[in-house]
Amino acid sequence: MTSFSGDTVLVAGVGMTPFVGFRHDASVRDMVAEASRTAVADAGLRSTSQIDMGVAAYESDHFNRQMSLGQVLHDTVGLAGKPLVRVEGGGATGALAIRTALMALRSGEARSVLVFGGETNGKSVDRATATEILAMSADLEWETPVFGTFAAPYALMITEHMRRYGTTAEQFAQIAVKNRRLALDNPLAHRGMSITVDDVRSSAPLSDPYRLFDASLLSDGAAAVLLATSEWSEQHSPTFAARPPVAVLASAAATDHPRLSDRTDEMFPHFAAKRNAAAEAYRAAGIDDPPNQVDLAEVYDSFSGAELQAYEDLVLCPVGRGGQAAAEGRFDRGGQVVVNPSGGLLGRGSAVGATGIAQAVEVVSQLRGEVTGPRAVSGARIGITDTHAGVGSLCVVNVFARAA
Amino acid sequence: MRVTGVDRSTGTGGQPVYLLDMEMSQRYRHAVGSSSPFYRGLEEGVLRATRCPECGASWFPPRRFCPVDMTETAWYDLPGTGTVTAATRVHSPPPFGGIDPPYVLASIRLDGVDGGITHRVTGSETPKKGTVVTVTFIEEAAAHPLLAIAFSVRRGEA
Ligand SMILES: [Zn+2]
Repeated sequence: MTSFSGDTVLVAGVGMTPFVGFRHDASVRDMVAEASRTAVADAGLRSTSQIDMGVAAYESDHFNRQMSLGQVLHDTVGLAGKPLVRVEGGGATGALAIRTALMALRSGEARSVLVFGGETNGKSVDRATATEILAMSADLEWETPVFGTFAAPYALMITEHMRRYGTTAEQFAQIAVKNRRLALDNPLAHRGMSITVDDVRSSAPLSDPYRLFDASLLSDGAAAVLLATSEWSEQHSPTFAARPPVAVLASAAATDHPRLSDRTDEMFPHFAAKRNAAAEAYRAAGIDDPPNQVDLAEVYDSFSGAELQAYEDLVLCPVGRGGQAAAEGRFDRGGQVVVNPSGGLLGRGSAVGATGIAQAVEVVSQLRGEVTGPRAVSGARIGITDTHAGVGSLCVVNVFARAA
Repeated sequence: MRVTGVDRSTGTGGQPVYLLDMEMSQRYRHAVGSSSPFYRGLEEGVLRATRCPECGASWFPPRRFCPVDMTETAWYDLPGTGTVTAATRVHSPPPFGGIDPPYVLASIRLDGVDGGITHRVTGSETPKKGTVVTVTFIEEAAAHPLLAIAFSVRRGEA
């Protein structure tokens, strides 16, 4: 594409806070305000007064200790009086919020929507409490009584992947190493680290074959994006003409049986919903050769092996070859598709409601060519974000593209 | 709810920081609702599922209404055997307690129903895909009624 039409949905502004283990100097509303202020300023606006609508993204009243938080956040960023939707979709919450904004814009209900998300998943909640809350993400009636950590269902899936395709623990440990290394170059990342496959394999066991360094980080953080029609952006955003516009080219969502034991043997080691969401997103975006057309992907690496599975389900490599691709570094910096240049959930961290939005912030910044230094994916035209709830019960794939 | 402490410190930029230690507790009386006959079954030593009289589909975990046609289902007893799809050794206790880690957890396809369960397998060996397991009813009071069962590998099939 060379240009976008007037009703194309553009990303007019982006912003995020650092993701950290504990923001002792900020509440969740402060963090959402910081991210929103950055996004609004990025669009060249001095306030939110011209924005039609808000979409609030957060997963857990338990972690954030505030019910009806959406209205509080909406008010905090100056949108009181305007319509608001609160979106929750587990790990896919932030991406689903972007999708919700896109639907509002495409329907003509709004011409500009501020999407803001935040979560305090970090150390403001003590370990025992966090464990108890997170255990409720599984099916309370049929799963929570038998396992308390999501390492368990992820481990069951990857165990079958290993048996069926010969995937090894060392292969997915390389993803844990890669993403922590990439996070070293992201100043907003929770914890970049220089570690080895041996460090991963010798860290504390969680649920075999997964170990502590295979697991992603729980963070405090917030992120925001301002989505608007091309027409609105031209009228209201002073920074519109100053840089190549980035569009939300497509968004797709799909669901699967939440409980692993309800899934077919055939699809047991795969994220069926991710595969379906990706297929629909690519179709809508006119992408027929993802590994050669997608330049970067922010992928939901809640566990190291989940990124390897995502390579396959996002059609970046053939089914069963994710382990090999990880071992070859095919999706590392400088690779065919750069996966998780931000460091992903393993290195940048995850503040659930903000995560899918933070992925969009990374992708848009990369597409605009605003990321400098070793993290830059130079010349990137198309980037995708991938998030899921549970072990793939709800998957959202969003596609972003820069005008040529 | 109560406030148990206040921490007055200084942020990295020298700004005042004020932290409240708060405690909240939640207590619930949880209705298992339409799954009640399943839980009664556990106390009687039988594993129960539901079947749709309209389309014949069987459901485990049991469902009151068939998701295909919304018809009310009927209860029946399962043989209590199944086959492992995948298994893992878990190194932390489940949230309600009742199992000392490490323990073996498996996704199990149950015989006699188009469905399965993720549950504990007794012993320390992690069974391979295809291993046949049988439900075992545990006598002592469990931390959660669902833990009144576990699955055991049939002798000679480990
Ligand atoms: Zn039926």
